[in-house]
Amino acid sequence: MRNLRLRWKESYSPILLVSPAIVYIFFFSIYPTLTAIFESFQTPLSSNTLSNYQGLIFFHLTNAIENTLIVSFGALAFQFFLAFIIAGLLAREFRGRRVFLTIVILPWGVATIVAAFVFSNIFPVSPPFGGYMNSFLALFGLPPVNWYSGYNSRVLVLILSDSWKNTPIVALILASGMTGISQEIYNAAALDGAGPIRRFLFVTLPNLRNFILIALVIRGISEFNIFAIPLVLVEYNPPFLTTLAYEFYSSTSSIYYSYAASTVLLAIVLVFTLVALKLRRTA
Amino acid sequence: MQLLSRAMQYVVVAFMSALFLYPLYILFLISFSPIQYTLGSLRPLQWPEGFTLQNLVLALQGTNLIDPMLRSLLTASLVGAIALLLGIPAAYGLSRLTSTLANTISTLLFFVNMIPALVIAIPVSVSFIDLHLYNTVVGLALAQGLIALPFSIFLLLGAFQSLPKDLENQARVDGAGMLQTLYTLLVPLSKSAVAAAFLISWMLSWDEFTFATILSPITPTLPFVIYTNIYRGNILASSALSLVLTLPVIILTVMLQRYLRGEYLSGGLHG
Repeated sequence: MRNLRLRWKESYSPILLVSPAIVYIFFFSIYPTLTAIFESFQTPLSSNTLSNYQGLIFFHLTNAIENTLIVSFGALAFQFFLAFIIAGLLAREFRGRRVFLTIVILPWGVATIVAAFVFSNIFPVSPPFGGYMNSFLALFGLPPVNWYSGYNSRVLVLILSDSWKNTPIVALILASGMTGISQEIYNAAALDGAGPIRRFLFVTLPNLRNFILIALVIRGISEFNIFAIPLVLVEYNPPFLTTLAYEFYSSTSSIYYSYAASTVLLAIVLVFTLVALKLRRTA
Repeated sequence: MQLLSRAMQYVVVAFMSALFLYPLYILFLISFSPIQYTLGSLRPLQWPEGFTLQNLVLALQGTNLIDPMLRSLLTASLVGAIALLLGIPAAYGLSRLTSTLANTISTLLFFVNMIPALVIAIPVSVSFIDLHLYNTVVGLALAQGLIALPFSIFLLLGAFQSLPKDLENQARVDGAGMLQTLYTLLVPLSKSAVAAAFLISWMLSWDEFTFATILSPITPTLPFVIYTNIYRGNILASSALSLVLTLPVIILTVMLQRYLRGEYLSGGLHG
């Protein structure tokens, strides 16, 4: 009898230990999420309607989806480019490696709003043609640029500003994958006459596949949530899903539009994650 | 050839270091250089010219720094407490569960991490108004805890798993209950990981913008005050506040560097 009770305790008490966290997550994450999805199909006058979504299309929903995807994938590409270089360096032993690691990690800790503030001085809205990037270009005799004159340069500014803070996490994940690839494979590939580019393509990339996908999921998810950076640098033009939701929330014109915009955001995040995880499983 | 590639390597290291330090350097430049060389100029200087505390003094005279700072401190400490209070038992529970169940729960945690803060924050703000938690430190901390909890659980789980299993079994054989084993044996043995989980959670809250913007705009924490100052064009105040926000975080990041590993940061996904 005592034995049985002990066994009961053994198998159930771990669940009891985990349950406060689960209850908390249910109340503060899952329940509100379901509420947001449900409410996105309501209006003060009718229920189970698509009218919020239809209304949002009038307020540039498709545009906001496009911009969210363009900046997200642009930023991901740029961050992975930098992160591969950094992780490649960190995989080697050299004097000053630890200092380099510290420098590279630093931006991770800096608040997004601070990154947004600093980059609003590097690429200022006013004065046009001013700011630190233009004064840097001037050192090389290059002409100044008005960063907010067109769509493309606005997107570029957002991608650059976002990438500073977020490259470190990609680099750290890739670096932890690279330490797992043995030097012997590289040596063997080099003996077979593979140059650095081919070694990267045929040794590094396939061996890092899962780490790349993990970093892609982690960063991709937060990339779609890009909020403070556009809010500070370009306000609502071009619009993003987050800034669209916030605009309707803060102007109180219709909170239901915010629910609809954030539900679209959630759907994009979900689809992206499921696709990436699927790729990982088949690896 | 070998020498050349070593030299190349240092060139790339130096270039990348410069790239990553540059924005922080600009923050210090704006904060401590006379304004005619920085914000007052169409072509701000790339190097320090003169040194002044005038900017900070001027900025902080016109802004209420103390209230938001205390609020930020309090919120961040509460988030750290939530992350440990819920995270320690959850991490230990996970380490004792069968792998199928543990994996299910890890996946759940990962999906929670995945839900956009904005999706959660807007309905939560509506119910917080009814619960009188809107614009309160406690309410904001409860929401920000969501960001810190998964991270804290995975960090602690890693620490508990690295302890020898025999130690724990011995304690159990000696008649210690599960909670007793956890709090009198495992937690003291992993105290540096516990401290790291607290501090990193603290930091995630200290920096957090989205929940803070939606849930506590009237009694704001520092990040939202920085935003309103940028919005109103108070660049000097924004830079002073940014500096206040960034200095502790730089120290913490350097201190906690060895806990900032890919496997904890990836929220339960494994390679």
